[in-house]
Amino acid sequence: MKDERSEIVRVNGVVKDFRPGFGLVRKRVLHGVTFEVHDNEIFGFVGPNGAGKTTTLKILMGLIQPTEGCASILGCDVGESEFRHQIGFLPENPYFYPFLTAREILEFYARLSGVAASERDARVDRLLGMVNLGHAMDARLRTFSKGMLQRVGVAQALIHDPRVVFLDEPMSGLDPIGRKEIRDLILSLRNEGKTIFMNTHILPDVEMVCDRVAIIVKGQIRHQGAIEDFIPESGRRSDIVISSLPPETADQLGERFDLEMRGLGERIEVQVDEKDVNAVLDAVIRVGAEVVSVTAHRNSLEDVFLDAVREGEANE
Amino acid sequence: MNAFIRMHALAVNTFREALRNKLLYTLLGFSFVMIASGVVLATLSYVEVNEILQDVGMGAIRFFSAGIAIFVGIGLVHNEVDRRTIFTILSKPVSRAEFLVGKWAGLTFTVWLQLVLMVAAFAVVSMLAGAPLGADHFVALGLIGLELMVLVAIATLFSAFTTPMLAAFFTVGLWIIGHLTRDLQALTSQSEAEGVSQIATFIFVLMPDFEVFNKTLEAVHGLPISGNEIGLATVYALGYTVCTLILAVMIFSRRDFK
Repeated sequence: MKDERSEIVRVNGVVKDFRPGFGLVRKRVLHGVTFEVHDNEIFGFVGPNGAGKTTTLKILMGLIQPTEGCASILGCDVGESEFRHQIGFLPENPYFYPFLTAREILEFYARLSGVAASERDARVDRLLGMVNLGHAMDARLRTFSKGMLQRVGVAQALIHDPRVVFLDEPMSGLDPIGRKEIRDLILSLRNEGKTIFMNTHILPDVEMVCDRVAIIVKGQIRHQGAIEDFIPESGRRSDIVISSLPPETADQLGERFDLEMRGLGERIEVQVDEKDVNAVLDAVIRVGAEVVSVTAHRNSLEDVFLDAVREGEANE
Repeated sequence: MNAFIRMHALAVNTFREALRNKLLYTLLGFSFVMIASGVVLATLSYVEVNEILQDVGMGAIRFFSAGIAIFVGIGLVHNEVDRRTIFTILSKPVSRAEFLVGKWAGLTFTVWLQLVLMVAAFAVVSMLAGAPLGADHFVALGLIGLELMVLVAIATLFSAFTTPMLAAFFTVGLWIIGHLTRDLQALTSQSEAEGVSQIATFIFVLMPDFEVFNKTLEAVHGLPISGNEIGLATVYALGYTVCTLILAVMIFSRRDFK
């Protein structure tokens, strides 16, 4: 249990109304959102599209003002700007001045963030290397792919070595290698002592990296807590895809481990309790079959998420 | 100091972006053509040839540099919001006031730079045509620079809360009104209804008075431009710009970026 002093982000009863047009009619998109993020944790803010994730994040970034309630980061009201040298922000699908090079845009953000002139060049080189853009640092951003722009976005968020990092859909537009690199980066940032707030609707990403999660649906927080709370030990299962498995072995494994099996052409997919995964893999490899993939499949978080979405829709 | 570094970075970036605006070069090209065409227009008259040449030249400079200030300025903030580049900028320790002032400074520097180019073209044409060119000409042209500074502030104000089309409509409207306010005040001062005169005075105070920067007549006809006039124009330009930017910041600070 973390104490009060370790609270880094605090969102308290935040309500946001928008006017869809010029009329007096207001549409409420956030209904008293309350949560907190603790020091040195990776916090997943999860919800379906249109749930209010980005609106909440924009309130934290001072881009939108709450209609009611308040929010603070590191004890400072989000309406202030001076404390922002301690935070980094990656927006969803970031866009940058296309006429600048990667090096120039990072120098620009370094100046805005108050990075000392003597440190700027080294910091820019290090960040571009860290996001694997060292080879393209002098290319104009107009020539960059979506994935490369996402990496520039990550680099600008970290250029001033912030204490808290806010990421809005950080895996968006990335290929599987890029996604893994960003996941590894997020974990390494936590190891450096930073706090990470991540908006996403991709549950496997949340399961892999997050310490705590809040689920928002239709502008209301439905669940929040440690990731373990959503994934009880008994509920953890893995999907294993196997090819060239002799039928008699499949029958024996099925009886021994109480497996659910599904044919996929010449391959079969089996669902295994997490505690039995190693034993099943041993048995499969011993008979010369090929393990195509192993995917941790945590039904609980997905179930909680889907229940929350259904509940939100039912209450509408 | 940090605020100055941030505004400087924003201004430099705005300048670099403005230099990529094709409209700037189009209007600059037209201004050169108009300045040079003064030579042709002057041949149509037997008297005051030099005055016509310089009147046309300075008029072209005022018109086209105002065009650049307005039509580049109206997208100044809107483009940042539309392309969402403002999200990453305002997430840094940049206040909205610094953002607006940085953008305004960058565009003001841009229009001053193109003004220098136009003045150079004007000087070359005047010298080639044998027209007199004195300090008063450069003072009058410098006052156009002050007018542009105010105009960029007005464009920044409208760009801070409305679309480029509406911002263009409002800014062009104010520029035209700003050159007519003295005539309107003179006209309404003859009205016997006291209310009309008071309203006219109120509007005169509120609206920009761009004629305070218009010393073309004096420069072209060799009439003196006093230090008081220059001082008044400078103080007026600074005062009106600061007030306009404060209003822009007040509106911009309340704005949501969806």
